[in-house]
Amino acid sequence: MKIFDPTASPKSRELELPPAPARLEGARLMLVENTKFNSETLLRKLAERLGRKHGTTVSGVHRKRSPSHEIEEGVVPALQRQGDLVISGIGD
Amino acid sequence: MSAERSETTDPAAVIEAYFAAGYTDGLPVVPPTDKSIADTLAAAGLRGDQVLGEIPSRNTVITAEKAAVNAVMAGCRPEYFPVVVAAIRGLCRPEFAYHGPASSTGGSAMVLIVNGPVAAALGINSGNNAFGQGHRPNATIGRAVRLTMMNVMNTRPGVLDRAVFGNPGKYSFCFAENEADHPWAPLHTTRGFASDRSTVTVYASNSLYQVYNQLAATPEPLLLCVASALANLGSPNLKGFNESLVVLAGEHTAVLRDSGWSRRDVQQFLVEHARLRLADAKRAARLPGDVTPADETTWRRLFEAPEDILIVCAGGRAGSWSACLPGWGKKWTRSVTIPVEGAIP
Repeated sequence: MKIFDPTASPKSRELELPPAPARLEGARLMLVENTKFNSETLLRKLAERLGRKHGTTVSGVHRKRSPSHEIEEGVVPALQRQGDLVISGIGD
Repeated sequence: MSAERSETTDPAAVIEAYFAAGYTDGLPVVPPTDKSIADTLAAAGLRGDQVLGEIPSRNTVITAEKAAVNAVMAGCRPEYFPVVVAAIRGLCRPEFAYHGPASSTGGSAMVLIVNGPVAAALGINSGNNAFGQGHRPNATIGRAVRLTMMNVMNTRPGVLDRAVFGNPGKYSFCFAENEADHPWAPLHTTRGFASDRSTVTVYASNSLYQVYNQLAATPEPLLLCVASALANLGSPNLKGFNESLVVLAGEHTAVLRDSGWSRRDVQQFLVEHARLRLADAKRAARLPGDVTPADETTWRRLFEAPEDILIVCAGGRAGSWSACLPGWGKKWTRSVTIPVEGAIP
């Protein structure tokens, strides 16, 4: 008898990842907040620590529609323009 | 189609092979064959390579063939497959926002509410024990969707399904609306479909909460109990933008029918009464901050609009029960109603 495979692997897609910043010193941070209860609190605390330690600054906060939803496609170029580094988290 | 050939012809050994491969939900599956897969696809008029939908955040594509294999494994008859297909298409709709309800610690069941002629044609139960065991289409259509979620959409417990408890409805949760004994128009007609059109409404639900009231002879006391079940301190979402499902059964349906209240009246009453005092929510640490004197008399409603409360009729005629199935918050996921395509058997 045949044993049929009911599974499917995620389709592969090409991703263009920008090079990671060589140094954190003076980097501009963009925060992506997902609306969970403590998400923004967690991200801001993290940003504060990075600021103290490496002199980073927060250049913007983007609030996602919900934790369920992906980040809106049109927002990505703005994140790229305004930040050297994007931090996202879930909190809760 | 990927398949391994097993030397055995012993059905029990084949079933064990599916367990060993990690393909099941913990129950034995029906081993598919080339014929059963082909029959299932044919019943929905689909080719195996047709795409039913995608979940972009998971890079997942659901083909008809993979869904058919899972439907056969679940025990579906071929003619059930169009309903399974409609449900899967619903899961893939952007407004359903699959990733949240599928992976959340709350562990949602994907409730499938079937409307229109297909329900009777397939024998989908809408009466006694509508949420329970005993009816093949109810048991296997929902199971086919869950197996597809596990096997194709990578929604495996402990991986991308992070449910703390889960709930038994995660094996299968499919029922038909009782359209024959309904005070109002059935659910799908409120969502733009003709009454003779068959549909599946897909709704991500937390655990079932049964509401009992044997004494209420008018809508207000009955609906106060429903409102209380929808808005208690343990409710998952106190933010004020819920979508919830209320299923009314026979005796409660009769009270509302006899009252002359419209569906809208019922929904509006529930919007106004499904609420909590801010002081209580803060004392219970469900909202942040200290309790202020104003909080003692300030109420938070849990629903923004009447249409955020789905009202459905199902269940047995005898017994003073209805059911509330709290959702996840309409900003995070919305129920969707999808037409069932193809000929009704």
